[in-house]
Amino acid sequence: MKIKTLLVNMTCALGLALAGSASAQEQGGNFVYLVQPEPPSLASFLSTSGPIGLVAPKIYEGLLDYDNDLNIVPALAESYEVSEDGKTVTFKIREGVTWHDGEPFTSEDVAFSIMEILKKVHPRGPASFAEVTSVDTPDATTAIFNLENPAPYMLRALSGYESPMVPKHLLEGTDPRNSDLATNPVGTGPYVFEEWKKGQYILLTKNENYWKEGLPYLDRVVARFVPDASTRTAAMENGEVMYGAYGAIPNIDAVRLREMDGFSVSTDGYAMINPMALVEFNSTREPFDKPEVRKAISLAIDRNFLIDNIWFGYGNAATSALSSNFSATGLYKAEPEAYPESPDVDAAIALLDEAGVTPGDDGVRLTATLDLIPYGEDWRRAGEYMKQALMPLGIEIELRYEDVPTWLKRVYQDYDFDLTMNYFYQLPDPVLGVHRHYATSQIRQGTHFVNSSQYSNPELDELLAAATTEADADKRAEIYGQVQDILAEDMPVMNLFEMEFLNVFSDKLHGHDASALGAYGSFDQVWIEK
Amino acid sequence: MSQSSKRIRYVLKRLLQAIPIILAIVVLNFFLLQLAEGDAVDVLAGEAGSATPEYMAELRAKFGLDQPLIVQLGVYLKNVVMLDLGYSFRHEMPVSQLVFDRFIPTLILMSSTIVIAVGFGIILGLIAATGLNTWRDTAISVFALITYATPLFWVGLMLIVVFSLNLGWFPTSGMENFAMFYTGWDRVVDIAHHLVLPTITLSLFYLALYTRLMRASVLEQQGEDYVTTARAKGLTERRIVFVHVLRNALLPVVTMAGVQVGALIGGSVIVESVFAWPGLGMLAFEALFSRDLNLLLGIFLLSASLVVAVNLVVDIIYSLLDPRIEVS
Repeated sequence: MKIKTLLVNMTCALGLALAGSASAQEQGGNFVYLVQPEPPSLASFLSTSGPIGLVAPKIYEGLLDYDNDLNIVPALAESYEVSEDGKTVTFKIREGVTWHDGEPFTSEDVAFSIMEILKKVHPRGPASFAEVTSVDTPDATTAIFNLENPAPYMLRALSGYESPMVPKHLLEGTDPRNSDLATNPVGTGPYVFEEWKKGQYILLTKNENYWKEGLPYLDRVVARFVPDASTRTAAMENGEVMYGAYGAIPNIDAVRLREMDGFSVSTDGYAMINPMALVEFNSTREPFDKPEVRKAISLAIDRNFLIDNIWFGYGNAATSALSSNFSATGLYKAEPEAYPESPDVDAAIALLDEAGVTPGDDGVRLTATLDLIPYGEDWRRAGEYMKQALMPLGIEIELRYEDVPTWLKRVYQDYDFDLTMNYFYQLPDPVLGVHRHYATSQIRQGTHFVNSSQYSNPELDELLAAATTEADADKRAEIYGQVQDILAEDMPVMNLFEMEFLNVFSDKLHGHDASALGAYGSFDQVWIEK
Repeated sequence: MSQSSKRIRYVLKRLLQAIPIILAIVVLNFFLLQLAEGDAVDVLAGEAGSATPEYMAELRAKFGLDQPLIVQLGVYLKNVVMLDLGYSFRHEMPVSQLVFDRFIPTLILMSSTIVIAVGFGIILGLIAATGLNTWRDTAISVFALITYATPLFWVGLMLIVVFSLNLGWFPTSGMENFAMFYTGWDRVVDIAHHLVLPTITLSLFYLALYTRLMRASVLEQQGEDYVTTARAKGLTERRIVFVHVLRNALLPVVTMAGVQVGALIGGSVIVESVFAWPGLGMLAFEALFSRDLNLLLGIFLLSASLVVAVNLVVDIIYSLLDPRIEVS
């Protein structure tokens, strides 16, 4: 393999962008958008919590960004170079970038952010940068990542949302978990933190010294918190806010606004997040220790019913352990046998019989409790559907809906559940978002959103390990093909559907969809038509 | 002893009695909250998406959640005695600052609500009682019944639909138009503009209560001997009602208002949620679901102190309204 390089001249790229959209961007204006719920802090280097992601990437940037076709776009790194053996990645750091407090941004900040912050205190950083042993900084504009093994997925985890670059001069020698930056962030991004009125809004102002020439257009960006969903919709209708993503406007209202003049709905900006609705089985509990039982349940579910009736048509039925979004990188493989297009109750019953789960005198084969993720009404409706759908199989489901801490403790600490409905972000690479479901090493009691099924398969573990360090794209795709075959057979986790979150926005708003990260992007190109 | 020094002694005595009550409330709340499954670290880690057990253990140590309960309580009580409400690890801010920031909007909303609800309640109750069994009485009673029976969130949303979306008179939500950077008098007007709909929503509910109470109270007073005497003296009905009956009829209303001010200070989760009003109710609600115990205890402490204080004020008002009631 030849040395891979990517050298994009930023001024050229920017020139193209400006020429491309001939309708002149208008300067100025206040952009108010919805963030729900209010973030606990703005420490995106400590937490990947959704509401933080909606605000912090406007302030902090990453080394790279990604366009809507998931191509890598330079950001704080002008270019990068991967060595032939894949064990050295050299980033050329952009010159002339300054932190919001005026200090220069250098390769020292990069090394510090990766080694001291992301690798140590970030929830996903230890996985993203697992192979990074050190970062060398021969000069202020060069950062060399030394890797133990090739880590092809790492280059997908360098966005401002996933791996923000943080100021060394403000964090060094302090406890990053107890830093003033959490509520008073200082980044390099297009907007500068100005004020946070708890319970009301976060105000950001234009970064006059932003390194992208001519950007940003807006004077101010305001993240507003409105707890009630109906009021959020009313505020949007009334023109008080212009943009809401990640379900800020519920689907039921979004389909109504879609028909109104002046509003649009889109599903862009979630390809790096890849949300997947699913059911986790407790594979240590009878009869869910039997793959046949798990598969039978999968066969009996009408995934399109869920999508059409509960999520108003937004979503795609799952067809494998991996999201079909991974077909962009060639890793996805359809598994029609385990994920049929329409439910097959007869086949499901046959599987149950085969597993020896037979009906009693009352026709009931088994009773189980389905826990529901406490993130809104839609999940309750979905649970009610599951209960209905599994009745013909002789499976009696009881639904349980608790609050967030109780549910998290039950599923990930006490393992005291039969089945639980949930959704996971599969993220831009399976190593980052999917392995945590299935690897034996991911049975980590007390850690959230990992292998709560307690599924363990040495053969699969080997494949996952191989996929992690395989630099060749074709070989990698082949490995993931096998992974998906095994998971279609064993199904410790049953995927339901690839979720589509909605962006609802005013037609006067432009440039909010410039990055693959959508609402988790920097909003640097957003402008408002007067 | 003079009346005023008697009153001061009384106030001091009541304040001293309040201390053990408030402390008992804190201790009770502390143990009640421990009954909830999961803790603040579970929530933070859950929101973060994934966190290692080591990280969570570190967080627990940082928050002091790894200590035995009794030690946690002791630390908290010690801080409270020194007027330190502790630190909200979720918000990365001192509890006192958080609570204070949210207390002002609550106070604005609650005082306007109490003034409107009690004020109009007294007037409507009086009108209803003086026109007993006429159309006025019926109309007011039906109105009170409807407003009391209608769910708050529905009233709020309907007001938004009518007055914000259709008529465009008022903003849908929030406390001020922060993008405009109003200062001084303009800001007051702006906040008042935002205050109208939430105040009406919350007032309608309490208005019904005060109307019914006032009506019953006036009717009861009108049957008293002193009214007959006044009438025999040849006083006008107007004078009887406004000078004699009103003052006596107000006592139960003041009692009720005293009790409710305490409850209202805790905020109204529904109205705050519908109108995105940044009050204490939502803060407490969120704190509960994120198991932010320091914050929750801080809010409870504040509410408890205020209930005690307001009740004291009500007792003083009694003695002013009706000199026969003596403080002692």
